[in-house]
Amino acid sequence: MPKVPIWDLPDVPKGELPPHIELQRTRVLCNPDAPTHTENIQYSGAYASMGVDNSLRLDHFRENFKVEVIRLTEDDMEFDLIGIDASLANAFRRILISEIPTMAIEKVLIANNTSVVQDEVLSHRLGLIPIKVDPRLFDYMSENDVPNEKNTIVFKLHIRCERGGPRLTVKSDELKWLPNGSEFLLATENSTSNSTSKPKTYTSFRCSQDSLQEFSNNPIAPKHPDIIISKLGPGQEIELEAHAVKGMGKTHAKWSPVATAWYRMLPEVVLLQEVKDEKAVELEKKCRVKVFDIEDVGNGKTRATVARPRACTLCRECIQEEGWDKYVALRRVKDHFIFTIESTGALPPEVLFTEAVKILEDKCERLITELS
Amino acid sequence: MDLEEEYDPSYNDEDEDEITQEDAWAVISAYFEEKGLVRQQLDSFDEFIQNTMQEIVDESADIEIRPESQHNPGHQADFAETIYKISFGQIYLSKPMMTESDGETATLFPKAARLRNLTYSAPLYVDVTKRVIKKGHDGEEVTETQDFTKVFIGKVPIMLRSSYCTLYQNSEKDLTELGECPYDQGGYFIINGSEKVLIAQEKMSTNHVYVFKKRQPNKYAYVGEVRSMAESQNRPPSSMFVRMLSRTSAKGGSSGQYIRATLPYIRTEIPIIIVFRALGFVADKDILEHICYDFSDTQMMELLRPSLEEAFVIQNQQVALDYIGKRGATVGVTKEKRIKYAKEILQKEMLPHVGVGEYCETKKAYYFGYIIHRLLLCALGRRAEDDRDHYGNKRLDLAGPLLGGLFRMCVDNGKDVNLQFAIKAKTITSGLKYSLATGNWGQANAAGTRAGVSQVLNRLTYASTLSHLRRLNSPIGREGKLAKPRQLHNSQWGMMCPAETPEGQACGLVKNLALMVYITVGSAAYPILEFLEEWGTENFEEISPAVIPQATKIFVNGCWVGIHRDPDMLVKTLRRLRRRVDVNTEVGVVRDIRLKELRIYTDYGRCSRPLFIVEKQRLLIKKKDIQSLQQRETPEDGGWHDLVAKGYIEYIDTEEEETTMISMTINDLITARLNPEEAYSETYTHCEIHPSLILGVCASIIPFPDHNQSPRNTYQSAMGKQAMGIYVTNYQFRMDTLAYVLYYPQKPLVTTRAMEHLHFRQLPAGINAIVAIACYSGYNQEDSVIMNQSSIDRGFFRSLFFRSYRDEEKKMGTLVKEDFGRPDRANTMGTRVSGEDVIIGKTTPIAQEDAQGPAARYTKRDHSTSLRHSETGMVDQVLLTTNCRRVEICESEVRIPQIGDKFSSRHGQKGTVGMTYTQEDMPWTMEGITPDIIVNPHAIPSRMTIGQLIECIMGKVAAHMGKEGDATPFTDVTVDNISKALHKCGYQMRGFETMYNGHTGRRLPAMIFLGPTYYQRLKHMVDDKIHSRGRGPVQILTRQPAEGRSRDGGLRFGEMERDCMIAHGAAHFLKERLFDQSDAYRIHVCERCGLIAIANLKKNSFECRGCKNKTDIVQVHIPYACKLLFQELMSMAIAPRMLTKDIKPAKDQKKKGA
Repeated sequence: MPKVPIWDLPDVPKGELPPHIELQRTRVLCNPDAPTHTENIQYSGAYASMGVDNSLRLDHFRENFKVEVIRLTEDDMEFDLIGIDASLANAFRRILISEIPTMAIEKVLIANNTSVVQDEVLSHRLGLIPIKVDPRLFDYMSENDVPNEKNTIVFKLHIRCERGGPRLTVKSDELKWLPNGSEFLLATENSTSNSTSKPKTYTSFRCSQDSLQEFSNNPIAPKHPDIIISKLGPGQEIELEAHAVKGMGKTHAKWSPVATAWYRMLPEVVLLQEVKDEKAVELEKKCRVKVFDIEDVGNGKTRATVARPRACTLCRECIQEEGWDKYVALRRVKDHFIFTIESTGALPPEVLFTEAVKILEDKCERLITELS
Repeated sequence: MDLEEEYDPSYNDEDEDEITQEDAWAVISAYFEEKGLVRQQLDSFDEFIQNTMQEIVDESADIEIRPESQHNPGHQADFAETIYKISFGQIYLSKPMMTESDGETATLFPKAARLRNLTYSAPLYVDVTKRVIKKGHDGEEVTETQDFTKVFIGKVPIMLRSSYCTLYQNSEKDLTELGECPYDQGGYFIINGSEKVLIAQEKMSTNHVYVFKKRQPNKYAYVGEVRSMAESQNRPPSSMFVRMLSRTSAKGGSSGQYIRATLPYIRTEIPIIIVFRALGFVADKDILEHICYDFSDTQMMELLRPSLEEAFVIQNQQVALDYIGKRGATVGVTKEKRIKYAKEILQKEMLPHVGVGEYCETKKAYYFGYIIHRLLLCALGRRAEDDRDHYGNKRLDLAGPLLGGLFRMCVDNGKDVNLQFAIKAKTITSGLKYSLATGNWGQANAAGTRAGVSQVLNRLTYASTLSHLRRLNSPIGREGKLAKPRQLHNSQWGMMCPAETPEGQACGLVKNLALMVYITVGSAAYPILEFLEEWGTENFEEISPAVIPQATKIFVNGCWVGIHRDPDMLVKTLRRLRRRVDVNTEVGVVRDIRLKELRIYTDYGRCSRPLFIVEKQRLLIKKKDIQSLQQRETPEDGGWHDLVAKGYIEYIDTEEEETTMISMTINDLITARLNPEEAYSETYTHCEIHPSLILGVCASIIPFPDHNQSPRNTYQSAMGKQAMGIYVTNYQFRMDTLAYVLYYPQKPLVTTRAMEHLHFRQLPAGINAIVAIACYSGYNQEDSVIMNQSSIDRGFFRSLFFRSYRDEEKKMGTLVKEDFGRPDRANTMGTRVSGEDVIIGKTTPIAQEDAQGPAARYTKRDHSTSLRHSETGMVDQVLLTTNCRRVEICESEVRIPQIGDKFSSRHGQKGTVGMTYTQEDMPWTMEGITPDIIVNPHAIPSRMTIGQLIECIMGKVAAHMGKEGDATPFTDVTVDNISKALHKCGYQMRGFETMYNGHTGRRLPAMIFLGPTYYQRLKHMVDDKIHSRGRGPVQILTRQPAEGRSRDGGLRFGEMERDCMIAHGAAHFLKERLFDQSDAYRIHVCERCGLIAIANLKKNSFECRGCKNKTDIVQVHIPYACKLLFQELMSMAIAPRMLTKDIKPAKDQKKKGA
């Protein structure tokens, strides 16, 4: 670098960061060895010397924040969260995985199990079956609660493989909803109370669940009918009752409403110099996910263009070879998140996200009240 | 094309009929299909049952009984003497049977034997002939003969899946119906309900001349030794040493290089010339002819000169014999007797394998001469000394020979046999059972037994069971510092697994068989001898020693049988016949061209392995043979034995291997043919079937072992045996004392070809975990791992743990019996049990004093079995056997991975869980994948387990393509190939991924190596180890805290801890640990005599009776152990006096004096 007297240097433009610092602030730079500038600069006065205010402003956020839904199906969803900090996006992700409640089988009363699958294994398998029911219609069951129609869903599974027949595969559609609660009688010491009303069971439902209007024409069942629970040989039998209760993913993964939820930063692929002809072909070939395209620039010349930067997997094969990092730069936009939610089926993914937002809102409110 | 082949076999020079390395796997499959994995055990046992047992019975001499004629005055006996002679004939063995207590007999199945603690054994019958010889007074003899057919003489334990087992050749379906695991290989015994394996025992081969150079300074320069053992003889081998003295003997006396021999039962060494003279070869020339066949060999003759001079005084056979006899065990007997004694020793004890009959002197002299010849060759430096650790010099005693020895012992000791009905079946039954049950090989409480020959079969994992059945032990002292026998020897290539051996004391002494080893079972030598005779072998009677240098010496099983003048032709014919199976395939033919020897072996216990035969740089096996192998319909037709019979493959033993030239791969052969100039050899005789078969069972499970540092493979071989999985398919029908079963075992994504034959896909022991190698939060330092709690919730590495408790109502006397109370009400299945719950209730009646006195307060004592105090679970199974005599209860418990549990990859990378993180706390990739396990990158560089990294990227490719990855060692798979395939799947070539931090949501500032790696859960879990104690049980004798977790014992505050406290100056703490918290005690001491006084604290009275002292008594605090010591000393009439008076003045005086 040639020596330049300091007074000859251009003034630091006020109210604007120099481009290289701006790049560090907004982008993760993916170098051939490792990514750099992964952190966000939080301090509001970080760029004060350059006359830039780095503080987070609500109105600014309101202006810039955008959500674009890319894909939405019954069970999964992809959308872009633009103009948001990683901490917030991550909060949504964490809440989605562990703090949105669902219903899952928690107690299994086994009356008979002669299958090869041990009771413990069987109950564990049952617990993991997703149940298609809106958890918002139920209450949590706390320690001293009696199971009732507001906090428990009861399923029955009774299946037998006949002797002489072929082997039988028990699937999740064999789980039958019992809207009236448990059918297993509680063992009572004295049979004096047998005259009064109905006998006691493991649940005390005041009314049938299917009389409630939410379920009357929408019976509760496992989300998928074809989940294998067990296999029975001739003469083997399973008879059990499964009680599902409301819970959260942080207690046990079976209550997590999503298979997974995650985001990635928007990839940005920049050609630093024009890549022409053979080099362009070479570059196009390097990428397996077809980020680059070749464009005709007339008179038999071609050049490479970045066609699908979103597809970039960051395998960095394009910059791995000596010298290529002068042509291509791989970056990630720090405040643009491609968010994906894969629901297990209890709630549709878009509802899950709004639920997550509500929970975060709740938490914030709680914090504010507690601070004030 | 086919027609052309028919016409002109030499024409098909093209490579298309050449088989590829891939085709070799068809051959390997055929091998395992036919042989299974424990063939050595089964073959050996079958050989014992089918031949050896009858041979032993035939060998056993007739039993002769001469009753002392009773003196009966008045009666004149009809005969002067009556002799009963009993001889045994044909033996018969039936299928395994058992007799119920009601006398009913039924065939016994292994399942019943295991559950009911029975012995899986078959009754043995024998034809007995009794001859009564009555001798009259006048010398006349009357013989009466009586035959008894099929007399029951005992029960022989039967090896499972041997040809006498009930399961032999049952179909998979039948086996399942019998409650057996179809993957179980057999090869073990069931003794009293427990499965026992006979561990193969390694020994030095007998009848083999070894010459060793002694490390100087030593009295001897060279030693030749032979451990001679005649075939089918029970006696321990008789050793003969021939030693050449050092030029300057240790004492500095005579300097002659005398050669002397040790003879059995002779105290001192005998000069060799005297031995020759005693054998009847008197003339110097005669003797020299037998040692040094060529008189023009002056060097050798010169070496013999001192020996000749030394024996100059003895020039006659009688004198020589007397010389030997004088040094024998007999003292003070006549010369005749001494000579007779010496003759006997020479005939019967010296070199018994050459012959023990009369007129063996010539043969013995030749053999003795040969030993000296070898010794001299070594002394002249013409031949290197022998290698003690060469595997050709080792023999393996497997189940057959071991049982044979035992059976012979039982038969030999059948002295009780009196009359046919008095034949004691128990001798054989219990004799065999004792050794098999305890592992003490040999008679009960007799010296010279080997311990640990029979072991309880390890059933932790299927691989550990298989490996146990293929184990091998060298009975050399573990404490011996000698490193050589422990080291891997070149000759073990392909025979012993180079990786699988325990660490520590038994390292290198306990070995495991490689996958494709065949241990010979032994065949008769006479067909070979006949063949030799036919093809012009000259024996000693026909030849003069002068022709020996020109001809080749022929040895059969170490015994010199003659010479032959055209060994080339002989060897060729012999090999040809062996390849046509006209001669047994397991016969070893070794031609030592330099020594001019041809050694032929037919004995048992040699290690051999199959190899492709190569002729003219070309495999004899062709593509069409492979095709017909693959296309055959039933496993019976064609198959392995057909390949052997067609002469494509032959078994080569370790010694013969030295005379072959083996190409490593088929490609080596092709390249050698294509450009012979650069080829390693142009005379290949054989080709390896596949180099990866040098590994054993456990090492074959390791992917890419050829990319790992070798100790890591050894570590994994040991760890694979502790992994959980499914150990047998019938585990629910068995009652193993301890069993671990994984909820969801998976077959590995990255496999080896050998796994197919080890059934590792059917009975796996691990899970394909997504493993990230990263530093994340620091909870995976020092070989710990972070595990995904959400994965655990979803069933990752959950396992079941079973423990069975058993008890029996023992009869005590005739009427009294232990009592289970109401066993029908014993814990029913599904009951939750925990802590120290009683799970088998039992009472024992207390012996009551008769009538007098008040009735005892208690009539019964509790003898219940309670659950281990740290375990909880459910009663899984209850088994009550005949008349409630026995109860077995199986308890099961779910083990969920938690912090502290041990896991490992397949590369000796073990670690404990340091932290569990839920899914949201785990880092994720751009595809939303969270790892199941995060291991620390520091675990990799110093350990150099590159195999694990390659496994990981290959696993990634395999998972993406939906295929299995092939990680067989010594193949052409390269990291570059895998990387390219991975990049094709759209991933970073080397398996790196960009990841986001689960806590902060930001990008991690590094790329993370991530992919599926097969992980194993090891049996060590914190719940079995966690232990603490505040107060608790103490030992009765010393009142110090008990030891061990199972007894709720204390933790030892040892010497080093004590040293720390002293150094720290924490005296009070030290006192608290070692005294107050241990065995604090107080006693009262008489101040006058210093001995323990009587104290009655209730009455507040103290007394020392000896001193008549009731006032001067003090209380002292001492450890109970100290009090115990004092009392013990007092019982030995030593008075330990505790002087409690202040002794300061005395000290002061001393100081003043000084």
